[in-house]
Amino acid sequence: MLAYAVRRIAVSIPVLLVSTFVGFVITSLSGDPVKNFATSASPPPTQGAIDAYARRLHWDEPLLERYWIWLTGLFRGDFGPSVNPGRDLGADMWTRFGVTLRLITAAIVLALILAVVVGVISAIRQYSKLDYTTTFLGFLFLAMPAFWLAVLLKEAGIWVNEQAGTTIFYTIGEHSPFLEVDTAWNRFTDTIGHMILPTISLALINFASWSRYQRGSMLEVLNSDYIRLARAKGLRPRTVLIRHALRTALIPLVTISAIDVAQIMGGAVLTETVFQWHGFGEFLVRSINEVDVYGVLAWLLLAGTVVIVFNLVADLLYAVLDPRIRYD
Amino acid sequence: MTDTAARRAAEREFTVRERTQLQLTVRRFLRHRLAVASLFVLILVVVFAFVGPLLWRYDYAQFTPDNSVAPSLKHPFGTTEDGKDELALVMRGTQQSVKVAVLTAVAATAIGAVWGAIAGFYRGLVDALLMRFADLVLTLPLLAVAAVLAGNTRGSWWLIAIVIAGLQWAIVSRIVRGVVLSLREKEFIEAARALGASDTRIIFRHLLPNAIGPVIVNATILVAVAILYETALSFLGFGIKAPDTSLGLLVNNARTAVDTRPWLFYFPGLFIIVIALTINFIGDGLRDAFDPRQQRIRQ
Amino acid sequence: MLDRRARLTGLSLTLGLLLVLSACGGGTSQEESTSAGLADCTKNPNSCNSGTTKKGGSFAYVIEKDIELWNINDTNANTFETAEVLQTLLPGVFNITPDLKPTLNTDLMASVTKTGDNPQTIVYKIQPNAVWSDGTPITVNDFVYAWKTQNGRDCPLPPESDDSGTRGCNPNNTAGYDRIKSITGADGGKTVTAVFSRPYADWQNLFGAGYGLLPAHIAKQYGGDLDSVAGLAKAWHTFNTTPPKFSGGPYIMQNWQKGNAATLVPNPRWYGKTKPTLGKLIFRVISDAAQEPTALQNNEVQGIYPQPQVDLVSQVKKIPNVTYAISHGLTWEHFDFNLKTPALRDKTLRQAMFTAVDRKALIAKTVGQFTSGVVPLGSHNYVPGQPGYKDLVSPTGQGSGNVARARQMLTQAGYTGVGTALKDPQGETVGPFKIRYTTGNAIRKTQCELFQAQMKQLGINVTIEEIGADKLGQVLAGGQYDVIVFAWVAPPFPTNSAAQNWTTAGGGNYGKYSNKQVDKLIDDAAAASDPAQAAELLNKADAMVVQDAYVLPLYQKPTFLAVQTRFVNIRNNSTNTGPPYNTEEWGLRGAA
Repeated sequence: MLAYAVRRIAVSIPVLLVSTFVGFVITSLSGDPVKNFATSASPPPTQGAIDAYARRLHWDEPLLERYWIWLTGLFRGDFGPSVNPGRDLGADMWTRFGVTLRLITAAIVLALILAVVVGVISAIRQYSKLDYTTTFLGFLFLAMPAFWLAVLLKEAGIWVNEQAGTTIFYTIGEHSPFLEVDTAWNRFTDTIGHMILPTISLALINFASWSRYQRGSMLEVLNSDYIRLARAKGLRPRTVLIRHALRTALIPLVTISAIDVAQIMGGAVLTETVFQWHGFGEFLVRSINEVDVYGVLAWLLLAGTVVIVFNLVADLLYAVLDPRIRYD
Repeated sequence: MTDTAARRAAEREFTVRERTQLQLTVRRFLRHRLAVASLFVLILVVVFAFVGPLLWRYDYAQFTPDNSVAPSLKHPFGTTEDGKDELALVMRGTQQSVKVAVLTAVAATAIGAVWGAIAGFYRGLVDALLMRFADLVLTLPLLAVAAVLAGNTRGSWWLIAIVIAGLQWAIVSRIVRGVVLSLREKEFIEAARALGASDTRIIFRHLLPNAIGPVIVNATILVAVAILYETALSFLGFGIKAPDTSLGLLVNNARTAVDTRPWLFYFPGLFIIVIALTINFIGDGLRDAFDPRQQRIRQ
Repeated sequence: MLDRRARLTGLSLTLGLLLVLSACGGGTSQEESTSAGLADCTKNPNSCNSGTTKKGGSFAYVIEKDIELWNINDTNANTFETAEVLQTLLPGVFNITPDLKPTLNTDLMASVTKTGDNPQTIVYKIQPNAVWSDGTPITVNDFVYAWKTQNGRDCPLPPESDDSGTRGCNPNNTAGYDRIKSITGADGGKTVTAVFSRPYADWQNLFGAGYGLLPAHIAKQYGGDLDSVAGLAKAWHTFNTTPPKFSGGPYIMQNWQKGNAATLVPNPRWYGKTKPTLGKLIFRVISDAAQEPTALQNNEVQGIYPQPQVDLVSQVKKIPNVTYAISHGLTWEHFDFNLKTPALRDKTLRQAMFTAVDRKALIAKTVGQFTSGVVPLGSHNYVPGQPGYKDLVSPTGQGSGNVARARQMLTQAGYTGVGTALKDPQGETVGPFKIRYTTGNAIRKTQCELFQAQMKQLGINVTIEEIGADKLGQVLAGGQYDVIVFAWVAPPFPTNSAAQNWTTAGGGNYGKYSNKQVDKLIDDAAAASDPAQAAELLNKADAMVVQDAYVLPLYQKPTFLAVQTRFVNIRNNSTNTGPPYNTEEWGLRGAA
C-alpha cells in the first residue's frame, strides 16, 4: 500500500503541474497588474517606475518564461512577488491555509458522518416518513444559497447562546483575540466554539447531495444477491448491514466526496466571509481584488494539492472498504 | 373488478398504436407527479419573470417615493430603502438569474457534448488528452476560478454565464463520452459507416442524439447549479452589478434585513429556492422518464 | 421558526416606530434606572453615559479596516481606524472632545500659552511626570521631531525619481508646521517654545488633535541621524511599517494580530490622573459591517461604531442591554469630481451635473431612513452649529435636483443631446463617467445609483464601480475615478482642513482642484488672528469653490455608536479620533 501511495503521489505531480499551468494562464489572462499600476496614480508613474514594477513581477518576461520563474521559485519556498510590496505571500499563506484546512476537514468529516447515517437509515426505511423528510430536506439544502444558510445558522446560534446564558457559539473569527485564562483546554474549547457554526454551514450543503448518494448506493447493495445470500444464511441483520452492506455501499460516497473537495475549497470562501475568518478564502478574495496574480496562483496550487491528497486518501480507502481491491 | 378489467381492455386497445420514443418519454415524465407540478411552477416563475415586467407598473430601476415600506397592495413585495419596488426587482432579478442559468446550461452542454463525443468516438490518444483535460477542469474549485475570471466581467450576465459554463462542461463531457463509448461499436453505427457517412455526421446525427437523455437531465441540474453559483458570485461581489440586479444580488443586499425588513430577505431567497428545487425535481422526473430501467427499487 | 413569523408580523410596527424616533436621539434598548446611557448625548456630549468604574473586564471595540501602516501622520496611513487605535498610544497637546472643541490634554500639558503675536509665540509646559512607556521623559525632542518631519523643509517629499517613495517624508499635512521658525527647549526639555514665522490661527491643531507625538528617542533608534533627511525619512517609514511597542498614552499594545485584532493592556508608566480599570482593551477588525450587530449581540465585541444603515440600526435597537446614539459630527459625505478627467474640466458641465443631483431625495432614501433631521449641507468648511457656518451651496441651485435648469444650462453652453445622449459643443460624447464607492457600503451604493439615475436625465451615462476593502486611499491618491463619493473626517480647525482640501497643493485635494484666488484667500484665513475674520475669508473662498462645482457636500454623516450597558464612559465622538478619545475612562460599571 505504501508503494502504491508513493506511486500515486509521483503520478499526481505532473497533474498538479499542468493544473498550475492552467491556473497560471487563467490568472494571467484575468488581469494585468502592471497596467493596473500604470493607471493607479495621477500623474501616472514614470515609465522607469512602471518598468521596475513589471520587472519585479517578472511581467516583462513572456508567459512561459514567467511560469518557469515562478515554478523554480517554488522549490526555494518562494511563492512569487505580490503586487503589494509589503505583502509576503508565503508568510501570509501558511497560517491562513491551516485555518481553512481545519474548517474543510471538519466540514467534510461532519458531512460524511451525517450523510452515511441519514443515507443508511432512509435506505433501510425506504418510503417512510423519515425517508421523505430527509429527501425533502436534502433537496431544500441543495437549493439554498450557502450564505443564506449561514445567516440563519448565526441567528440560531445566538438564540441558543441566549437561552444558555453563556457564549457557546461564536459568530466571528476563528478564535478569540485573547483568553482570560490561557490554558490548553480553554484554547481548545474556544477554537471549537468558533468552529461549530461555520463547519455546520459548510457541511450541510454537501451533506444534502452525499446523503442522496449514500441512500442510492445502499439501496442497490441491499437488493444485491450477495446480501440476500448473507441474509439467507441467517447472519444477524446488524452484521449484514454493517459488515457487508455498508462497507460496499460506502465506495461511491468516498469517490464523490473526494471529487467534491475542490468545490468545498471554493465554498469555504463564502463561509469565511460570513464568519469573518482570516483564512485562505479571505486570502483569495483579497488577491483577486488586488489583481495579485501570484496570490491567486498560490491559492490554486494549494487547493489543487488538497484535492489531490483527498483523492489519494479516497483511493486508499477503497482498499479498506473493498477486500477485492489490493494495492501493491 | 369488472371496472378495472374494462379499463385494462380499453387500455390495451389504445396501446396498439405505435409510439415514438419522445411520446413514451413524455408519458413517463407525466406520470411523475412531483416533476409535473414542479414544471408547472417553474413555468409560472419564468412567465412571471419575463412577462411580469411588461405588465407591472414599476420598473426595477425606478425610485418610487415609498422608501422601505412593508408589503402592501401597492407594493406586494414591499420596497427597498431607496424606494425601489421589490416585486419589480425580484422579477428583473429572476429574469437575469434565469438568463444566466439557461445560457450556462446550454453552453456547458454544447461544449461538453461535443468534447465528450469526440473523445469517445476517436478513443486512444485523443480520448486520453481530452479527458485528462476535462478531469483537470473538474479539480479546479469552480467558485474560486469563476471569481478570478468574473472579476473581469464587470457584471455582464452573459460573461458570467460563459465563465460558469467554462467550468461545468467537463461533467457533461464525461457523461457523453460514456454513452458514446458504449454505442460506437453498435450495429447501426457500423451501418452508417458502411454507407459512407463522415465522422462528423456519425457524431452529430447518430451518436449525440442517443446521449440526449442523460444530457438533458444534466442540463436541467446545471440550471439549478448556475443559479446558485451566480448567487455565490454576487455575494463575493463578482456577480451582476447594480443598477442591474439578480436574485443573488438581491438576497446579498438584504442579508442584514432578515429580522428588520424580512420581505427583502425572504422574497428573492424564496425564488432562488423555488427555482432550484423545482429544477431538481424536474431533473429527477426526466431521469426516470429517459431511463425506465432506473425505476425505484422496491424491497 | 415560529419566533421569526411572530417577528415578521410585528415588523411594520417596528418600522413605523423607527421613522418616528427622532434624529439626534438615541436610546437604551432596555432602560436602566441608574443612567440614561447614550440617550442624552445630544444634550451632554461630554458627560453622557458616565459613571464610576470598577476594576477588570475587557472591552472589544470594532474597527472596520485592517491597519496597514502605523505612522498616523503619513498621508497613506491617515485612516480613521489607525487614528482610533493610535489615539490611545500617542499623547497630544489638545484632544478633540465630543462637543467638537479642542480641549487641553492636562495629563500631558501643565499649560500652553500664546505669549506673543508678533512673532506668534507659543509656550508649551509639559507635565514633569509625563514619560514614554520605557521611562524616557516626553520632552522638546518629541516636538522637534514632529515639526521637522512635517514642515516640508527638513524632510521634504520623496523625489520624483524615488520609486519606493521612502527617501523623504510624506506628511498628511504641513499646515502650521511650515510656519514654525524655531522650537527651543528649556527646563530639561519640559518647556517648549515655538516661534512662528507667520501667524497661524489654528495653532491648537498642532502636536495633537488626533495626530499625537511620536517618541523622538525611538525615531533615533530607527533612523539614526535625525538632523539629516535620510535619517528622518528612515525613521518616518519605520514608524509606518512597525506596529508600535511604545506608548505615551493610557494603554500599550501587547499584541497585534494583523487583520484580526490589536490587544492593549494598561501602560504601567501611564502618568495621567485617571488610571485605566479595564484589564484589556481590544480593537477588533470586522471588515463586513453586516456581521457587527450579531457579534455585539453575541458578546463577542462590546462596542461597535459602524456606518449606520436602516437594518443595522433596527437590529441593534433590539439587542437587550445595549445603548446606542446617533449623532451628527464633523464627518460629511460628498460627491467629488476628478478634474483630471478631460470632460469634467468644463465648469458648466460640472455645475449642471451638481444641479441635477437631488440631495433631499438622496437623504430620504438613505440616512433619512433611520434618523430624521439630516439636512443638505451648505458649506465645504463648516457644519451647522459652528459659528462660521453659512449655506453657500443651496442658493446656487446645486444639489436641488432641478433637472430642467441643469438642462437649460447645458443647452446654453452649446451642448447637444441634452437628456438623451449628451455631446459637448465639439461633438464629443460626454461620459460615460465612473462613479466609485467603497465596497459593502449600502448607503453609498444608493447614492451612486441615484447619481446615475439623475445624470441619465441629462443624457450622461454613469457606471458604478466598487472600491475594494482598504483601497479608498489608493484610489483617491491615484485619481482612479471620475466621480467619487466618500466622507471627510475633519478636525474642528476649518482653515487647516480647508488648506488640505481646496488649495492647489493640498494633501487632500485628490481631484486636483486649483484656483489661485482660493489658494490666496485660504492662506490669508490661516494667518488671520481673529477667528471671525478667518471665517469670513474662508466663506469668501468657499463661495468660489462652490461656484467651480468641484465637490458637492451632501450631508453631515450620522454616526452610530452602540455599546453594552455594562460599560460606562464610552461616548460618541464624531471627530477624527472617534469614540476612543478617552479610553482611560472606559470601564465596567461600578456601584453607583
